[in-house]
Amino acid sequence: MKTLWQEMSERIEKQKQLTDTLIMDMTQQKYTQKFNKITTYESIGAVICFIAAILILSNFEKLDTWYMTACGIFTVGYLLTLPILVLRSLKTIRGINISTASYKESIIGFAKAKNQLLLIQKLGIYVNFILFLAIIPVSSKLMGDKDIFMLGGSVWKYGFIAIIAIVMIFVSRWGYRCYKNITNSAENILKELED
Amino acid sequence: MQDKTAFVLIVKKNEGLIYKITRVYTDTQEDQKDLYQEIVYQLWKSFDSFKGNSKISTWIYRIALNTAIGYLNKSKKKVSQVSLDFELLNPADESDTVTEERLAILYNMIKQLNIIEKGLILLLLEGKSYDEIAVITGFSSSNVGTRLSRIKKKLKENIKNI
Repeated sequence: MKTLWQEMSERIEKQKQLTDTLIMDMTQQKYTQKFNKITTYESIGAVICFIAAILILSNFEKLDTWYMTACGIFTVGYLLTLPILVLRSLKTIRGINISTASYKESIIGFAKAKNQLLLIQKLGIYVNFILFLAIIPVSSKLMGDKDIFMLGGSVWKYGFIAIIAIVMIFVSRWGYRCYKNITNSAENILKELED
Repeated sequence: MQDKTAFVLIVKKNEGLIYKITRVYTDTQEDQKDLYQEIVYQLWKSFDSFKGNSKISTWIYRIALNTAIGYLNKSKKKVSQVSLDFELLNPADESDTVTEERLAILYNMIKQLNIIEKGLILLLLEGKSYDEIAVITGFSSSNVGTRLSRIKKKLKENIKNI
């Protein structure tokens, strides 16, 4: 293996592909891309959540019964807390100083941050169900001034809620399995580092 | 200007090293080019902070390997981006299919290892001593030795199964 590796190393040492301009172009293009990456899905999602929370808060007096207030508090709490937690985990990942950290420190840093992010996302799967139940009455009250709990139920309304709930159960189960696999692999790496 | 000239020289001198690291940590040529660019960018970003306390190769290995770990964590949800079009180095002559095949097997075997093992075996193949590997990776020299003997055993078994 070592001989083959050395042979290959010698061969590629003789080749020179990079020019001065290409090297500086590489740094320049990546620099521009870093700025573009500010518009990641998480940041856009967080902004949407914050705007929704502000809209609910500014019309909070319309939620005039105890159950509407409870739904409103839960919805606002969710819309403000979850994006902050997600963005904080992403900040931890970006905060790893790759120029000073050793390989081991980087692996630990990334694995821990990944676990933290996955835990929040896993938690999000369950809390989303409650959000789904809370956001419907809040939005119908704020947008149409209708108390969904007082309105008679139509087949369409209950059918719609049932379909959304079933879709959410399937999406959550699929998401949970994906998260579980990734978390397991990150935890295995951390365990191996303890050896 | 002085910095830019020195940086370009260092990258040119070590382009083979960057090539080998990017090949071990990626599966497609497109990803390899993207990681290559990312490493060059990270080297440029950290170039001012390089005080010369360690060997230049140690500094490059550290940044390149750490960038590769970060890249593995990001690549699944990478936003579409266009990499610069440049030619990657060619580790085997086109006529030399035997070497090309052997190299493909070697890289595949390394790619099957986990992230810790990949970094350690790569540094060993690069001819680094246990002490140098320890400085780059943050493991103790004795731990490097133990881990490497386990990796060698694993690779031997994998070769038998080919």
